[in-house]
Amino acid sequence: MTRLLWLDYLAGLRERKTWIAAAMLVYAVLVIPLLLADPPPHVREAIAAWFADADPFAVFMFVWIDLVMNKVATFVPVILASGVVLRERDTGVLAVLAAKPLTLSRYFVVRTVSACAVMLTLYVGAQLLAALWFPGRVAGFRPGTFLAAMSLHAFAVLFATAFAATVSVAVGRRGAGALVALMLLGLMVGLALVGFYQPEWYEMTLVNPLTLGALSMRDLAHLGASTLLPPMLALAGLTAVTIALGSRVVRKVEV
Amino acid sequence: MSASASAITVEGLGKRFGAVQAVDDVSFAVEPGEIFGFMGHNGAGKTTTLRMLLGLTQPTSGRAAVLGHDIVRATLEVRRVAGYLPASYALPPDMTAREFLQYVAAMFAIPPATARARGDALLRRFGLEDAADRKLRGFSTGMTQKVGLAQALINEPRVLLLDEPTAGLDPLGRHELLEHLRELAQQGVTIVFSSHILSDVETLCRRVAAMHHAKLIACGEIAALRREHGAATMDELYLTLVRRQAS
Repeated sequence: MTRLLWLDYLAGLRERKTWIAAAMLVYAVLVIPLLLADPPPHVREAIAAWFADADPFAVFMFVWIDLVMNKVATFVPVILASGVVLRERDTGVLAVLAAKPLTLSRYFVVRTVSACAVMLTLYVGAQLLAALWFPGRVAGFRPGTFLAAMSLHAFAVLFATAFAATVSVAVGRRGAGALVALMLLGLMVGLALVGFYQPEWYEMTLVNPLTLGALSMRDLAHLGASTLLPPMLALAGLTAVTIALGSRVVRKVEV
Repeated sequence: MSASASAITVEGLGKRFGAVQAVDDVSFAVEPGEIFGFMGHNGAGKTTTLRMLLGLTQPTSGRAAVLGHDIVRATLEVRRVAGYLPASYALPPDMTAREFLQYVAAMFAIPPATARARGDALLRRFGLEDAADRKLRGFSTGMTQKVGLAQALINEPRVLLLDEPTAGLDPLGRHELLEHLRELAQQGVTIVFSSHILSDVETLCRRVAAMHHAKLIACGEIAALRREHGAATMDELYLTLVRRQAS
């Protein structure tokens, strides 16, 4: 299964949609510091109201995680993973592959883990590019803290990828599945930082995986294993459960 | 012939989709190394029968075994020893022919070096070595069918189930494909050749089963069936069988 996973990953990297996703990420990395250099007045007012005393790096990280990478976590996983198994069924490729000694459940696991690996490759590449591009362009930029915070967020993006795949096979139709996954991930992203604005709701928002991915925002000055590992493990567990659920649901897909 | 000596045994196999009886009480056996013809009109139940043999559809009655492996209890074992070319399928457009064969080989857990050697040998056998590294999206119908057959052979199957393999092929492509199938049979591969192109069935097979409206209406040697029904051609034989069934 490792060999199949590797070949599927390589095939995934070569797909057109992967290059579109990569272009989106590179665009975000290159453009955000330029946009933030001179934000419109209403954005400046909002930032001043929320982060009047915060250091400029914290303000930047809020923008980067919530306004940029959380949007990536909504769209790119849907682009990469919502066609898993269903696209093969709709195009007729599954008619060939389903006759091989691999259950549909296992095939779903291979395709979803492979989509997660492609997502992770794009995501890590984008953050490394950002770590090289942002110094000097973002006031007070700290590459170590940036990469630590983004490594936690990467787990949320992996969850989003598995979630998009599972929701799509549960819905059973590619277009509708992608829309439902997009809507649900959009809802999670929309509510991800509610706890920051309404501190009394904070604990309640921890059930949201996208909130877990943004927990580094709470205290950027003291990121370490004790603050990053628990949410990482929780997200890894949620991702595994989501894939397991998808591997059960996919059995109803007609070959 | 005893059931244990047959490559494929089918006993009273049936499949119902809601109110529709797609396959009704079908029984036959296929000998090892035989090219067995499976003929019938579109919708007669041939495809559903083949899909049941591979565990892609669960039978609602009866039982069957491929090389002694029960199709319900040992589905993955059946798929391990069988190759299958569906009637309607597509190949992944973004993969090359070589990559696709490696991918399918990985589904059988064939070691990479063996998979590469087998893949390259199959591409040579089907005259596709020059197109091996081209994306499958640009392949013609004949080339697609050759890759389809190559993927069905990557695990060196002992049983090959082919559903309408000559449909859409030009005369030369058909001739080449039938030649390949003869060679495979000579190497001991058992082939079930499902088709409604009766001339292909006659060219390739010694024994046939004929299906009509979900039922098996005849099974036996082509020559004997033609004698029995006084039919000069395969078309005549099939029409006689169908008319007799209707009356």
